[in-house]
Amino acid sequence: MSSPLILLPGDSVPSEYLPSSNSSAPLRLGPGLRLLSQPPSSSSSKTSTGHVLAATQSGILTTDPKRNAVSLLSTPNRRYVPTSNDLVIAQVHHSSPDYFHCLITPQTPQVVLGQLSFEGATKKTRPMLKQGDLVYARVLSTGLGAGAEVELTCVNPATGRAEPGGLGPLTGGMVFDVSTGMAARLMRASSSSAENQESVDGLVVLDELGKKLEKVGGFEIAVGRNGKVWVDCANGGDSAIKATVAIGRCLSAIDEHTLSLADQKKLVTRVLREMKIET
Amino acid sequence: MNKEAPLSITERDFILNALRENVRLDGRESDQLRPLSISFGQEYGHVKVKLGKTSLIVRISSEVTKPRDDRPFDGIFTIALELTAMGSPAWDNGRQGDLETYVTNVLDRVVRHSNALDTESLCILKGVSCWSVRADVHITDYDGNLIDAACAGIMAGLQHFRRPDAVVKDGQVIVYGVDERVPVALNITHKPLSITFHTFDEGNRVILDATRKEEQAAEADVIIGMNNAGDVCFLSKFSGSPVDAMVFVTKSTVAQEKVKEINGVIDKALQADLAKRAKGGMLEESRAENDR
Repeated sequence: MSSPLILLPGDSVPSEYLPSSNSSAPLRLGPGLRLLSQPPSSSSSKTSTGHVLAATQSGILTTDPKRNAVSLLSTPNRRYVPTSNDLVIAQVHHSSPDYFHCLITPQTPQVVLGQLSFEGATKKTRPMLKQGDLVYARVLSTGLGAGAEVELTCVNPATGRAEPGGLGPLTGGMVFDVSTGMAARLMRASSSSAENQESVDGLVVLDELGKKLEKVGGFEIAVGRNGKVWVDCANGGDSAIKATVAIGRCLSAIDEHTLSLADQKKLVTRVLREMKIET
Repeated sequence: MNKEAPLSITERDFILNALRENVRLDGRESDQLRPLSISFGQEYGHVKVKLGKTSLIVRISSEVTKPRDDRPFDGIFTIALELTAMGSPAWDNGRQGDLETYVTNVLDRVVRHSNALDTESLCILKGVSCWSVRADVHITDYDGNLIDAACAGIMAGLQHFRRPDAVVKDGQVIVYGVDERVPVALNITHKPLSITFHTFDEGNRVILDATRKEEQAAEADVIIGMNNAGDVCFLSKFSGSPVDAMVFVTKSTVAQEKVKEINGVIDKALQADLAKRAKGGMLEESRAENDR
C-alpha cells in the first residue's frame, strides 16, 4: 500500500495511483474527480493508464481495485456539491406541471425532479408530493457551467425500476442533519463488508444499533450524500420515537467527536440507557 | 433570496410527536438549557458565549460624548445587534429581517429599559459630557435561542467591562488612560436575563431553550425577562397561537431558576477571569497596602 496521496483542486491524478485493472469493468469515478481525456476505445479494454483525471476538490485519493473505482475523500465538513449518481434526500419546495422543484441543501438553487421519474409512475399514478415532503433520489445529471440545473431521479431510466431499492418518497420517521463527511462514512460503511470495516473510518454504530434495537422492531435508514440521514422505526410501537431520537443522537455524537470502535459501542449503550430503551 | 431552510413535514411532525412523549431531539428535558459556556477575551468587555451550537461575541465599548439635550444627567447606552452572513447563510448583510428587529427589541427592553445599567452614573459633567456605552453583538453561529444567549452575553459584558476613569477639574473633563488609573467598573443596578419558552401542541407543551429546528416547528414563543430577585422586567407573547395564562405563572418559577443558573455561570466566569487578571495587573500595582 503506497502512502496516501493528497490532491488539491486542479491537480492531475498520477497514473500509477489508478487501480491497475485486470477486469474489463470500466473505471468508475467517485465524487471530486473529473475525467479530462481517456484512451482511444480500442486500447481501453486492457488498462486504465491512459485516463487523465483531475481533482475538483481537495482530499485524499482512494482507490478500490475490486470495483475498479477511484474517488476522493474530501474534508468532513465540506459543503455538498451535487455529483452524478449521488444518493440524496431532497425536500420538495413546489411543483410545476413537469417537475417537482426540490431543495437538497438550503440556500442553494433548487434542483428538479421529473414528475414521472418514479417507479411505475404514469400521468395518472404519479405520486402527489406536497411542499415539505421528502424524497430519496439519485442525482441524474448536474449539467455544466454556471446556472446549470441539477436533475434528480428516483428510477433507473434503463430498467424503469427504483434502483438501488428504496428510492422514492420518504414518509414518517425523521431526518437528521450530519456533516457531508459523516454521510459519506455511513455510505461507505454500509457498502463494505464486515472484514474491511476497520479501514472504512471504523464505523460500527449502525451495526451496533441494529443489534440493540432488534427488540423494538429494528429501523430503516436512508443516507443522503447531502448530509441528511432519514431514520424510521415504523415497527417500534411505543418506543419508536425514542429509538429514532436515540439513533439521531448517536449519529450526531459520532459526527462531532472522533470515536474509536469501542467508544462507539459504549456511546450506543449509554444513549439507549438514557433514552430508557430496552435492549 | 436567502431564507431560513424550511422545515420538512416529516421533521415538523416528528418534533411534535416526540414532544407529546416528552422527548426532545437532543435528549434534553423540557426545562433544560443546553450547555452554556461564557469566556472573556483579552480586553475588558469582550465576551464569548456558547449556548449549544449557538455562539456569539459581545464587545462593550465606551466613549465620551455630549448627553442628550432632554436628559442632561444621563449617559447613553445602546445595544447594536446585526444578523450578518457570518452567523448563518440564511441572513443577508445589511438587510434587516424580522428576527433581527425582534431580537433587538427584546434585548432593548430586557437590558436597557429595565435600567440594568445605571445611566445616571455615566454622567461626567451635567449637559456637557457623559459616557456613551455601546454593546455590539456579533453572532458567529446560529442554532436557535439567540435572545437568551445575547442577553447573557450583554449582561456578562457589562459586568466585565471597565471604563477609563474621568474626573472634572475646574470645569475641565480629564480622562485618564487605562494605564494611568485603574479603570472603573460600570454601575449595574440588577442583573436581568431573558428566558425564552416555545409552545407546541396548542400550548400544552412548553419547552425551554429551543434549537433552530424546534423554533421553526413551534407555535408561539413566550419570553420572560427576570432578575435574580424574581422581579419580572419583561414579559412577551408576541405572536403565534394563544397560550394559557397559567403557562406564564408556572414558567415564571422555572424562569427564575434558570436566571439564577445563568447568572451563576456568569459570576463564576467573571471571578475566574478577574482572578487571572489580578496577577500582575494594574490593580495589583496600584494597591495601597504592601505584602509583608
